[in-house]
Amino acid sequence: MLYKSSRGVEDKGLFTVIIGGKAGQGVKKAGEAVSKYFLKKRRYAFEMDDYQSLIRGGHNFVSVSSSTHEIFSHHMKAEVLVNLDKRSYDTHREHLAPEGMNFFNSDEVKDGRGIGIPLTEMSKEFKRPGLILGVAGISILTAVTGENKEFLRSLVEEIYPRGKQDNTEFSEMVYDDVVDKIDRTLELKEGDCSDNMFTGNTSVALGGAAAGLDLYFAYPMTPASTILHFYASHGEKFGVTAVHPESEIAVANMAIGATIAGARSMVGTSGGGFALMAEAFSLAGMIESPVLFVLSSRPGPATGAPTYTEQGDLGFALHQGHGDFPRIVVSPGDMREAFYLTADMLSLVWKYQVPGILLTEKHLSESSMCMDVDPSGASTVEPRMHEGSGEYNRYSFTDDGISPLAFPPSQGIIKWNGEEHDPRGLTTSSAEGLAAMHEKRDKKRKAICDDIRKRRSVNVYGSGENVIFTYGSTTLSVREALRCSGIEAKVVQPIYLRPLPTWELKKHVDDRSIVVEQSVAQQFSTLLEDKIGLEPKSVIKQYDGRPFEPVELAEKIQEAIR
Amino acid sequence: MSDDLDTGAEKTWCTGCGNFGILASMKKAVKELEERDISRDRLVISTGIGCHGKIFDYLNLSGIYSLHGREVASAQGIKLGNPDLKIIAFGGDGDCYGEGLAHLLFAAKRNIDITVIVHNNGAYALTTGQASPTSPKGFKGPATPEGSVEPPIEPLGLLLSAGATFVARGYAGKVEHLSNLIVQAVEHPGFAHIDVLQPSVVFTDRYDEYNDKVEELKEVKKTRMDAMELAGISDRLPVGVFYREEKSTYDRELLGEGNPVEDRMSDEKRFEVIKRSMEM
Repeated sequence: MLYKSSRGVEDKGLFTVIIGGKAGQGVKKAGEAVSKYFLKKRRYAFEMDDYQSLIRGGHNFVSVSSSTHEIFSHHMKAEVLVNLDKRSYDTHREHLAPEGMNFFNSDEVKDGRGIGIPLTEMSKEFKRPGLILGVAGISILTAVTGENKEFLRSLVEEIYPRGKQDNTEFSEMVYDDVVDKIDRTLELKEGDCSDNMFTGNTSVALGGAAAGLDLYFAYPMTPASTILHFYASHGEKFGVTAVHPESEIAVANMAIGATIAGARSMVGTSGGGFALMAEAFSLAGMIESPVLFVLSSRPGPATGAPTYTEQGDLGFALHQGHGDFPRIVVSPGDMREAFYLTADMLSLVWKYQVPGILLTEKHLSESSMCMDVDPSGASTVEPRMHEGSGEYNRYSFTDDGISPLAFPPSQGIIKWNGEEHDPRGLTTSSAEGLAAMHEKRDKKRKAICDDIRKRRSVNVYGSGENVIFTYGSTTLSVREALRCSGIEAKVVQPIYLRPLPTWELKKHVDDRSIVVEQSVAQQFSTLLEDKIGLEPKSVIKQYDGRPFEPVELAEKIQEAIR
Repeated sequence: MSDDLDTGAEKTWCTGCGNFGILASMKKAVKELEERDISRDRLVISTGIGCHGKIFDYLNLSGIYSLHGREVASAQGIKLGNPDLKIIAFGGDGDCYGEGLAHLLFAAKRNIDITVIVHNNGAYALTTGQASPTSPKGFKGPATPEGSVEPPIEPLGLLLSAGATFVARGYAGKVEHLSNLIVQAVEHPGFAHIDVLQPSVVFTDRYDEYNDKVEELKEVKKTRMDAMELAGISDRLPVGVFYREEKSTYDRELLGEGNPVEDRMSDEKRFEVIKRSMEM
């Protein structure tokens, strides 16, 4: 009910396409084509890929929602539903919007409700019949929205450059069949969006490059792998080299080694890989090596569900590594913020010579939305350097605990020591030595806190009596839920998680607060309870690996604030 | 005479420990390398954890005292950060052939231009003498009071099959010879490995055995197979370079002639490239 009224009142222009099929049928690519179509119409769009950890078979789908207004999430009620196989048809019947049109592969679904297209038969005359099916998605959307074949052809040629001729012919066959079978078209208004769409991972990679990253080390692990792929394909033009060594342990230790040479290094992984990096993370804390760790979460524990989303690693990120040492943990609330925050973090870890963590989730890493950034607005790396030659102490005592850096070749000897050390960097276990170096590092903790007090550390969206605390990619879901439902509420999203900006967060605490997160143990809510004494009226949580569906979330919020 | 390669830190190795021979060989090698235009400010060391690692505190050279088993990973990171540096990683047999074996084999496989020196004493000495990967079957230690039931690994054969392009064995009791091996290893363009027979006077005092069995190799073996066969013999202990070949190195394959810390583009240029790529 809420859904209908919200669309009626708030966003008449919302338009969602869902395409489902088997892995290998080109579902993801079909989503990309649909996104491109929306961008050509200058509409804002959000694309979410739901896929399994397998190469062929199974069930994958993509949901692309678009609007003439800025949009923060995909929706699960489709104006156009395209089912390439039987399982999709059965799965997505409930995802049809009231005025939506359901297309299915009539070679696989007999007596289906909606519009059947014999996709398998049509594709048989082409070389790679299985792979080509996804092209049908853009053909159907083009036909249903009354666009012409020229428009379709240019899109297909752009998105499917491999096997261009086959894809073009196939797409036109499908188009003609659809035009013959439909009795109405759906209107798609032009918008005013001039942005491109980016995944969170691309945004992180671009942000790192903007800050002046030199080396990116990673071992493949979903959902962080596409950062590695991005740098491997495009890094050279930004001066970034991608390195894929034998394990996450090698990744983290190599990244630390690179900082000793003066190179800015970053690593990316998911929970399991980050667990293997625990000891190196602690080493970075001890030797004061500035490495930025990107942790893109998926459902755990253990291997969990590799291709889905969850916020179960918050506690892990906050407490990574053995021993006492300062670190910075942040989490971006949208793709655009991911760009600037990655650059900020690279700059900060070098400023304070501490390890840092950019915590995100599959939903932000791999979904894409429209965004625009100005690279010249990104922070860059400007560490405090040792001046002069001769005598050098790697761990010299200073007021703020930050010892100036020097890199080889250098006249002064530079000793980075993973055992407790004196200012020269030589090993010590004396009582005074241990206490003094602990205090030096702890001064940086205080300095970081002071620095973050001067920055925007919390995002506040909207206004209203009701306050919703959330963080990370769930911020996207909450913002879209409010946008599409018209519910008035203030969204409070801490960008920094350690140190946690309690001074800002406390301003928003009241007895009507609710928390939205994707953790069964409600780790975020517990953190706020511990740190700012928040006693939420309600905690809305989801832990099925799927991001919140905004309309469903809006209903839950409505219920919670009633 | 003052020793400018000595930090002045107190040496805590046992009197007579083979580690002193390795330290002396290294210092001698640094001076020899300087004669050959490899200045000491371009030498960077990396050490693991164990008795061997204490060389970090004694040698007055820049570097990192890394984690147990991770010195070879750290060393590779330094090399990729600045390929103009010469990196020497010191490891122990427990550390480098046990905990960190994967890093060692992959460094050999990719032929990254670093040198690894393993202080092979056949025991975990710093943790009071447990059996290590190179301890013989029957080795008695606090964790194997009845004798180890595991046979040892043979490190040189392992490195040869992993693809190392410079494989040598040294003896801590032959400082001049070991020093010369270190110089050759550092100068070798690619991955160089030296396994050093290092008696521990407390746990594995094999000076007599080594003095009896060690003999200097007269020539480098022509093929990998020949070198592996030589590595497998145990009645004698040949020391010297077992095998050497030149191949393209990982660091150059990956970075070309570039140097990440020296060839940075200006902020303006980088921002411009990013902006342009985002518009596409």
